Amino acid sequence: CSRLHTKPSVSPTLLLSNMYQRPDMITPGVDAHGQPIDPRTIQSHFEDFYEDLFEELTKYGQIESLNVCDNLADHMVGNVYVQFREEEHAANALRNLTGRFYAGRPIIVDFSPVTDFREATCR
Amino acid sequence: EPCPGVSKRISGFDMAPPASALLSGAAAVTGQIAGAAPALPGMF
Repeated sequence: CSRLHTKPSVSPTLLLSNMYQRPDMITPGVDAHGQPIDPRTIQSHFEDFYEDLFEELTKYGQIESLNVCDNLADHMVGNVYVQFREEEHAANALRNLTGRFYAGRPIIVDFSPVTDFREATCR
Repeated sequence: EPCPGVSKRISGFDMAPPASALLSGAAAVTGQIAGAAPALPGMF
């Protein structure tokens, strides 16, 4: 959607924008050099990313939910939503992640209004 | 096959961008450009 969502000033949930990049992000199943990628490679690439995330985020508090958008379309591509048990843990993570890099790209982190991922749709 | 629980992989956290990317103004928030894809070192 093209709505400009309001960012809450505090929330137990953080949004890490466009953080995950699939190895076949340009063409499904194919790498940047046009070579086919084994689906298992894509899966383990994702799992490595998830592990990196979990290990880093768990330093800042107890994680309630960790969702990664593993899509290919532009919308929300690679967005990571992490919900902590406590708002202050999210705030701590926000402070600690701001200005850092992941895999050569800046981490873009903000509070997110999402608290129930089953109900998370634009409205 | 990787050993479960024993990861020798280096985390992608704090992996800075290559110097070339810094020079080309990659600072923009919209910096997730497809062409710059080899930003996944050590993955393959």
